[in-house]
Amino acid sequence: MTTFLAILATGIGTYFSRSLFILSLANRRIPAPVRSALDHVGPSVLGALIVTMLIGPDGRVMIGYAEVTALAVASLVAIKTRNHILTLIAGMSVFWLIRALL
Amino acid sequence: MNPRVTTRRNENLTVATMNNPRTPAVAAVRDALPIFIPAIPFALVLGLAIVESGIDPLLGWSTSLIVYGGASQLTLVTLLGEGAAVAAAVTAALIVNARHLMYSAAMAPTFQQQPAWFRWLGSYLLIDQVFALCMLRINDDPRDFRIYYLAVGTTFWLLWLLTTAVGLFIGPVVPLEWGLGFAIPILFLGVLVMGIDHWPKAGAALVAAGIAYLAADLPSKSGLLLGALAGVPAGVMLENLRK
Repeated sequence: MTTFLAILATGIGTYFSRSLFILSLANRRIPAPVRSALDHVGPSVLGALIVTMLIGPDGRVMIGYAEVTALAVASLVAIKTRNHILTLIAGMSVFWLIRALL
Repeated sequence: MNPRVTTRRNENLTVATMNNPRTPAVAAVRDALPIFIPAIPFALVLGLAIVESGIDPLLGWSTSLIVYGGASQLTLVTLLGEGAAVAAAVTAALIVNARHLMYSAAMAPTFQQQPAWFRWLGSYLLIDQVFALCMLRINDDPRDFRIYYLAVGTTFWLLWLLTTAVGLFIGPVVPLEWGLGFAIPILFLGVLVMGIDHWPKAGAALVAAGIAYLAADLPSKSGLLLGALAGVPAGVMLENLRK
């Protein structure tokens, strides 16, 4: 039940973020400082989220050579190709390769 | 459709859209299909994450319908499964979705020319890919825009419901020792890197990651929120320094 309520709350909040300006503001401009802040919300959340995903059950960041190298290679491929599939393939290949070698 | 009207309007279209078929719906599906392909690994990983989280699979899948946003679904499901506080998980998922405010603002003028039912329905369908494709069409005739938007939107919506359902079965079949779960941070890193169009954003991401790392042992994954809260002002400051 708690899980369903969490999903529902996320759903309603997500709809709110998609509809807010379409349904209300229409032609008014967003103030520049707000726009600038909104601009940095995505990168900040993603940066913190990626680190959080690497935290193990003991509260420590679990990251070794394989992970660091794979993430670095994935970043380069993402910058070069702007392609999610190639990024994923490159990152996972490096991850598996180094784990097999070590 | 009146062919003369179509021809007239075609004169105003850019070179990029001139090769598209006349019917907006057909053009929409043709545009949507290749852009959906990168979402497929996401859907499989989400399926794996739902099963690993211990949440009832059908309930987990319902996020595709109720939330309808891959990154936020993954955030919500992963954090709930890892025992984060419900409020923290919901907040984190909503922060991941905060970028939609920008899309909503950018689309608002175009939606002014549309009927009310479409403003309500179109808001639900406004995901990254729909925004990217439909921003190229905002100067189309309002009816053509509406048909194109609905066709792109429902195509992504149906494919997402389908592939995330398939992901529930395929995701967990992959053996644990493959470490497929590592695909999630890689996919998110890809999304992050591709979204950085100027360096203050990279600064914001690095500050956020650093704070999240330092706060790693705090309970309920609160390092996530601390990191995100630190990243935004850092990015804004760097942005102001640049000017």
